Amino acid sequence: MEILIYGIVNSVSLALMALGFTLVYGVSRLPNFAHGSLYVTTGFITWLLLQRLGVPYLVAMLISLVLIGVVGAAMYHFILVRIRGMSISEIIASYAIGLAILEGLRWGGLKGTTHTLPVFANGSVDILGVVVDYHRLLVILLGAILVGLLWVFVNRTRLGLALKGMAQDERAALTLGIDSDRMAVMSMALGGVMAGLAALVLLPLGNIVVEAGYHVLIMAVAVCIVGGLGSWTGAILAAFLIGFAQIFTVAWLGPHFQVVVALLAIILTLISRPSGLFGRQKELEERV
Amino acid sequence: MRKVTARWSLILALLFGVCLAAPSAPALAADPIVLGCPLSTAFLYGWDAERGIRLAVEEINAQGGVKVGNEKRPLAMEVIDTRDLEPGVPVSEALLGVEKLLLEKKADFIVGGPVRSEAALAAMPIVAKAQKISILTSGSLTPKYSEMVGQQPDKFKYLYRISGEAKWMVTGEIIPCLEQIGKKYNLDRLAIMVQDVAHARAGGAIIAKVMASKGWTVLEPEVYPTGATDFSMGLVKTKNEKAQVLLIWMDMPETSILLKQWNDMKVPALPFGSIIAAAEQPGFWAATEGKGEYCLANVVNAGNAPSQATPWTMKFVDAYQKKYGLEPEGYGASSSYMAVYVIKDAIERAGGLDPEKLVAAMKATDLMGVYGRIKFDPKTNQVIPSLDPNEGAVGTIFQWQAGKRIVVFPPKVATGEIMLPPWMTAGEKK
Repeated sequence: MEILIYGIVNSVSLALMALGFTLVYGVSRLPNFAHGSLYVTTGFITWLLLQRLGVPYLVAMLISLVLIGVVGAAMYHFILVRIRGMSISEIIASYAIGLAILEGLRWGGLKGTTHTLPVFANGSVDILGVVVDYHRLLVILLGAILVGLLWVFVNRTRLGLALKGMAQDERAALTLGIDSDRMAVMSMALGGVMAGLAALVLLPLGNIVVEAGYHVLIMAVAVCIVGGLGSWTGAILAAFLIGFAQIFTVAWLGPHFQVVVALLAIILTLISRPSGLFGRQKELEERV
Repeated sequence: MRKVTARWSLILALLFGVCLAAPSAPALAADPIVLGCPLSTAFLYGWDAERGIRLAVEEINAQGGVKVGNEKRPLAMEVIDTRDLEPGVPVSEALLGVEKLLLEKKADFIVGGPVRSEAALAAMPIVAKAQKISILTSGSLTPKYSEMVGQQPDKFKYLYRISGEAKWMVTGEIIPCLEQIGKKYNLDRLAIMVQDVAHARAGGAIIAKVMASKGWTVLEPEVYPTGATDFSMGLVKTKNEKAQVLLIWMDMPETSILLKQWNDMKVPALPFGSIIAAAEQPGFWAATEGKGEYCLANVVNAGNAPSQATPWTMKFVDAYQKKYGLEPEGYGASSSYMAVYVIKDAIERAGGLDPEKLVAAMKATDLMGVYGRIKFDPKTNQVIPSLDPNEGAVGTIFQWQAGKRIVVFPPKVATGEIMLPPWMTAGEKK
């Protein structure tokens, strides 16, 4: 039972970490390697507003989400737009931005274990003999709500449909009057907000440390590669595959093998199915 | 013309003033003695050491400096971030830092690190070759370090360690403390969680072996990678296997996550941090919203938490608090502070910086410090530990109780008693 419960918690956490990354790639074909830094920055801004300036928790969260959305949009508008379409340059530039943000935060004083956010609800509940705290249950609930809202946004709103159109065929979308750069800015902003939402939901379980940025990036990349770059269904499925594989590994082999799981998943996927579970990129390239 | 003359008069007057002021600070005019500090400054065991060293340097300089023969020379600090506590950073990074301190910064002494055991061991030949006195003060706890000095005493005669080492910590402090807890509350089932680094794996293995030989039931140690953020399965196992004490040996900041999870899951096992970086810091209570209450933490040497171990202990704690606005934070603070005073003492007795004379002076060190009597083992150059501050360097194990760090071991410096969390006293206590 504990494997089932903590497997779901771990999987939803991974899905939350990866959704922003896959959203940006799905729409603008831009691998945002600054994703982890946006995650940590959101946590740090919220912490500053809450602990240093005494802003109410909910207001602090909303402000940081808006700010991180602006940061995401600004990254595209001022830097990444200039190298659009040059994959390697996009990876290098976005990773460099992320690195600068994370190490800048460390230089600015984000070190140690004292930067934390309060949990949404204190206490725990016994589910068939397994004690789970309320916040972890909320992670599952909020994760499910977030995925649902994202689906509604993409499939039922004009902006979402425009983003989807861009993801499917940029040239066709352009002929229909959809501004590709504007949509890419929007996707980066949304990706930032998604990274921020993941941070606000997950960081109260631990502490805000620079290393979390690198960890989140690795996990997001692993989930997206296994699921298929740009595929949201694939990302969610991959999050559950890797999440449960990690929990099984901890339970049966030992916790120090859990890091290997995500990296092994990347290698195995690239060998057996290079496009990932739901990705079609490689297949399309081969067909061409 | 009048303006130009006035300007020149002002410059001359300033120069004259500087010349007059210079003789009033003779110590600062002399060449400084450079302390090279290779430290992983982004981490607790790096920055606490840096702060301890800086505090001592400023105190000594305020008193005129170190007496070298007939003159007084100031101390200067050169800090290099070795990053050796960061996950994934290779040992070579720390070695480059040490070399830079020796070759570029012209360090007269190496004080502090490297902090990670693996890096400290790798740096030994480099420092020994440079014939500079080195004092390890923070981080590295591996017994291998003093063993290597003992095996090649002539080659490594320049290398000393003033903080604790894992073997004594385990046999002299942690195991007696565990036995004390076991006897007091009738507990005998132990779970162990360690970080995947040399000193933690070794420490966990020794504790498992010794406690098993003392009749305790010891679960298979769980080894976590550096940077692990989820401990739920290990805690579920601890609970299911009915462990009563949870021994933790981890120096990564994520240990606060472990303690939050422990509290959330109400695991009926007393958390005992042989090394537990997060719980050592004074800010831990606020950061975990009090969820770390009842956690025991070993801060290796007295002075890293308030106690009355020696008359100097609270003087140091107060001075640290006055300068940095909080109590000493990690296990590298008091030992790093004392290392500077030991160097000062050795230089003054040696009468200079001659390496051989300094080695003789270091070996003859006998100083009543912040955490007891400081003397080095003549064979291994390891500070001689004790449970009595009048006999040797004394350690400190404290427990978080109602927002305060209460020293509970060793008995000679204890200021309170060990308590169990309420969900243990309710039904799990045998």
